[in-house]
Amino acid sequence: MFGEVRAVDDLSVAIPEGAIGLVGPNGAGKTTFLRLLLGLVRPTTGTAKVLGHDIAEGVPVRERIGYMPEHDCLIPDMTGVGLVTFMGRVSGLDADTAISRAHDVLQFVGVEEERYRKIAEYSTGMKQKIKLAQAMVHDPQLYIFDEPTTGLDPRGRTEMLDLVRVIANSPGRNVVLSSHLLPDVETICKYIVILDGGHQIAAGELRQLLSGSADRLRIDVRGDREAFAQRLRETGLEAEATPTGVHVARKPGVEGVIFGIAKALGAEVRYMGREIRSLEEFFLELVERNEAAVSV
Amino acid sequence: MSISLPTYTRREMPLLGRRHRLRAIIVTGLRREFKRPAVIVSTLLGVALIVIISTAILLFAGLFLPGQALDLSFFFVPASNQTVLFFITLMASLVGSALIADDLNSMALTLYLSRPITHADYLVAKAAILAPLISLIAVLPLVLTPFVAALLGLFSWTIALQAIGLAVLLGSLFTAFYTSVTLLLSSLTHRKSYAAAGIFAVTFGLTIPAEILSISINNPALLYASPWEDYLAVARAAFGAPGGQIDWPWALVILLAATLVAASLTYLRMKAVEVVAG
Amino acid sequence: MTAVAEAAGVSKWYGEVLGLNAFTASFGTGITGLVGPNGAGKSTLFKLLIGQLHANQGTLRLFGENPWNNVPLMRRLGYCPEHNQLYGWLTGQRFVEALLRLDGMSTKKASTAATAALKVVGLSGAAHRPTRTYSRGMRQRAKLAQALAHDPDVLILDEPLSGADPMARVQILRTISEFAKDGGHVIMSTHVLYEVERITQNIVLIHNGKAIASGDIHAIRALIDEHPHAVRIETSHPRQLAQALARMDHVVSLEVPSEDTLLIRTRKPDAFYKELPGIVADTRLDVRALESPDDSLEAVFRYLVG
Repeated sequence: MFGEVRAVDDLSVAIPEGAIGLVGPNGAGKTTFLRLLLGLVRPTTGTAKVLGHDIAEGVPVRERIGYMPEHDCLIPDMTGVGLVTFMGRVSGLDADTAISRAHDVLQFVGVEEERYRKIAEYSTGMKQKIKLAQAMVHDPQLYIFDEPTTGLDPRGRTEMLDLVRVIANSPGRNVVLSSHLLPDVETICKYIVILDGGHQIAAGELRQLLSGSADRLRIDVRGDREAFAQRLRETGLEAEATPTGVHVARKPGVEGVIFGIAKALGAEVRYMGREIRSLEEFFLELVERNEAAVSV
Repeated sequence: MSISLPTYTRREMPLLGRRHRLRAIIVTGLRREFKRPAVIVSTLLGVALIVIISTAILLFAGLFLPGQALDLSFFFVPASNQTVLFFITLMASLVGSALIADDLNSMALTLYLSRPITHADYLVAKAAILAPLISLIAVLPLVLTPFVAALLGLFSWTIALQAIGLAVLLGSLFTAFYTSVTLLLSSLTHRKSYAAAGIFAVTFGLTIPAEILSISINNPALLYASPWEDYLAVARAAFGAPGGQIDWPWALVILLAATLVAASLTYLRMKAVEVVAG
Repeated sequence: MTAVAEAAGVSKWYGEVLGLNAFTASFGTGITGLVGPNGAGKSTLFKLLIGQLHANQGTLRLFGENPWNNVPLMRRLGYCPEHNQLYGWLTGQRFVEALLRLDGMSTKKASTAATAALKVVGLSGAAHRPTRTYSRGMRQRAKLAQALAHDPDVLILDEPLSGADPMARVQILRTISEFAKDGGHVIMSTHVLYEVERITQNIVLIHNGKAIASGDIHAIRALIDEHPHAVRIETSHPRQLAQALARMDHVVSLEVPSEDTLLIRTRKPDAFYKELPGIVADTRLDVRALESPDDSLEAVFRYLVG
């Protein structure tokens, strides 16, 4: 507990292997949760185990964790390879292994000759890569990424997310990705934990949580959407036109009907597929419901 | 950008223990400091000046110090040389002020603490970077002087060895005090210049007013407030030199207490820093 | 309809360092997204638009006027800078008020305008807390409030969503959309491409100080010939469908990556989509799903910038 506000209250989370997204509004307890994972803070009540070690032990847990913080945290007058090597040694690698791993991970993240220059001269993208490299150098079992794409331009974002994805998909490694950019979380994580007000308000496999209605189709129609929906209704199907497209109940043969109507109306069908809710929609709905329940 | 991780499956890499991790921090830190011209110059200058002055006093003892017996109490003189105070302060502010302040400024502290080390480890490592550098001024010259004196045959080896031993003890005490206080000041701010100013304030801001006031209002007890006077009192007692207006037991207690309190406060301060930002 | 902002051959150098290099683009009405890699010249362009910098070459017009030294024009724009340092000790309300009064508004009007603006961005509850207690999302909204409060004609926003949590994002995007719906114009820069796509189809793509594309995302995509448009169709008879579609002359390639998927690449996506319903309806082949994975801003960016 922190003063009067319970930062994390009765949080029961079982996090499976693989890539997990950690999502929640500001003040939801994500930061405290990460601090707990890192063993930097002791729970007021309750226990937690990470990778088989009680977090109260702190040090053994951190041996197995690689943390990529959101904020600036690099030592400006060290070189890239110098910092990564140093952090490897502080994690317990001997000098030779540390420097060898440092060069390996710098290669992996895509830092070439810049590794010999001082960090003070690096661009934002390169700094983020060094942050990732220092989290990887001691080959931890659990990676914690806190907003890994902050400040990166679109190309940098794609590169960074690709790196995170490779790490998440490699065997024996687990990833916790904490981010406000829900579509990013969606593409990388299979499992999601949603926090709000210090509680876990939802957790589960992403595909299951977002399955929405498997029995509806969304069609992106170019042309008169209303007329399209109307024609669908005329054939006895439930349909409605919304800003995201035309939604229709899935029945056998509905696809054929759709194209028939498109041909008749001279409209184009640019997308037809499952009505998948986005994580963003799911999240916003859930948080609203939760806040309403709390204030009642 | 290659797309395969350096190791496909995790191999359990044996991690070395705390000693190695701290050693890495200490060695890296010392190496960085010794690359700085300012540090090299002040060290050389400080050691050289103190040794030269002390040797001069030694050789011309008759001239400079009429009536001073050539026994153990003689070695109080080089130990009480104000150059020592000045260069200790200089070294503490050059090296020590940035030790923690820079990590707070760049938030590199987050990286350190996400490693398998504790707050205490971090502080011990930082202290182990600063203390040797300060003791180059506080201990080394005062050890060299009796050594040189014995070599020149001016003093017997018995006395010289005693003096060396005392120099080590006293120097370490003073080093501990300054290390502790400097780290505390460095941990309180993001700007190393503030910390440096603070160190000068502790040294001269306490010493000079204490000395002046104790004379003008004739209250020697004020001298307890000056770390330098406390050190002198203990040194005086150790070397058997006469004089002194304050009692050495209290002076010793004050120095030790200040060292411990500063260290504890630094630890508490470091624990309070938010390392995972919200 | 005159463009909101017009740049013609604008160049700006900082010594040797490139800012903008013969930048020519036109920003239309409504919302325009400004997208580009770091260092491409976005901040330079903004600083020129708000009159903080003077171009070395070329002409830049905002609402037909030169922004340099143009105080009345400044009144018509609201600017949201990228950095997040607000005056921490001021409350949200006081912060917006202070900036309005700098603008020349009377104290009373500033107070009302500030309250209204903070309400629009959803910060009424926190308006009386000091801004240093604000989260990133709240700071972004406070900046947006001060940009809106004096009722400008155009909003110039530099990374308005960075660091904001999902709720704040939704609120900010909604505020921007409403502003545009009410007749305002917006030029907004961001690195997160799918955010732009949610509120507008108009972009200007900037790279190395030049505008390399501007206009509707899909129109731009359609023009990128070297990268034929890919469309993935889920069907139980991919090869028959492939045969039917091969008749279209703009189809570049047809692949059957799995037994129920057909991947088509076409040079003329518009023509393709127009003809597709006809072909599907006539052949009566069962098409279960249809999507185009690269008809997005992300793809445009990748193809043009790399």
